[in-house]
Amino acid sequence: MVEFKRISYDVVRVGEEFMSDDFLVKPEDVDTFAFAVDDHHPWFFEDSPFGGTIVHPVLLGNQALTMRHSRYIVPAGLHAKMQFEFIEPVRVGMRVRSYGKVIDKFEKRGRHYMVTEFTTRNEESGTVLTRGQFTQMLFPE
Amino acid sequence: MGLKTAASIRIGEELPPLTKPIAQRQIDAYSGVRPYSIHTDAEWARKKGFAAPLAQGMMSTAYVSQMMVQFLGEGFVRGGRMSVAFVKPVLAGDTLTMHGAVKSMDAEGAQKRVTVEFWCENQQGVKTMVGNASGLAA
Repeated sequence: MVEFKRISYDVVRVGEEFMSDDFLVKPEDVDTFAFAVDDHHPWFFEDSPFGGTIVHPVLLGNQALTMRHSRYIVPAGLHAKMQFEFIEPVRVGMRVRSYGKVIDKFEKRGRHYMVTEFTTRNEESGTVLTRGQFTQMLFPE
Repeated sequence: MGLKTAASIRIGEELPPLTKPIAQRQIDAYSGVRPYSIHTDAEWARKKGFAAPLAQGMMSTAYVSQMMVQFLGEGFVRGGRMSVAFVKPVLAGDTLTMHGAVKSMDAEGAQKRVTVEFWCENQQGVKTMVGNASGLAA
């Protein structure tokens, strides 16, 4: 049985890699996201210049952000910084997965942080959809 | 349609502000309700030192995206970039207002990369997020 450790500055390794579960983007995900952020742009529901509907550009951000949960118990965390690069629009029906790697960890003003770079891909075609990096604070016990 | 033309954009131009009241139900929908979450468990949030559950920082990146899609359209969806720093927590019940202004336009191949400096304030005028976002124009 795999034993999950509680995440901490000491156990996280620079170079450590993460992978999310795969995720099928469904119409109800678009609806839920639109409600959550109050953005009902017609490109998400009717048609777009890309041919057919697309989903909100940051809809998959949480998939990347929670990759570390696949390996650690993460009781809480604060998000300090986020970078996105939008390569190709995401669409309903795509099966997507995020891949990440810890590229830095550091201490600042007595607080611990980890920096993860990520890529979100269309699992079937391999196309890179979004990439970026994020900095998360590691909560003390 | 196509890319917005760079000729229609000027440096210093302010984007229309975007105001977002944030209800707990929206945070629940965004983050998923679960116990021991600073986003959806009010008691747990208080134990962690917050007056109310926190909206995920990622929700604010959605507002930047909305502002940029409204401003640049296709050139943000394909080719857009965003870099943000979350500087203060956003709590359930807060109302955020996004502000942005065009900072620069730089050649990128045959197109122009338009960079917007933005900031987000809560109802007390406290900045909660700062950063820049960019996209392509023809």
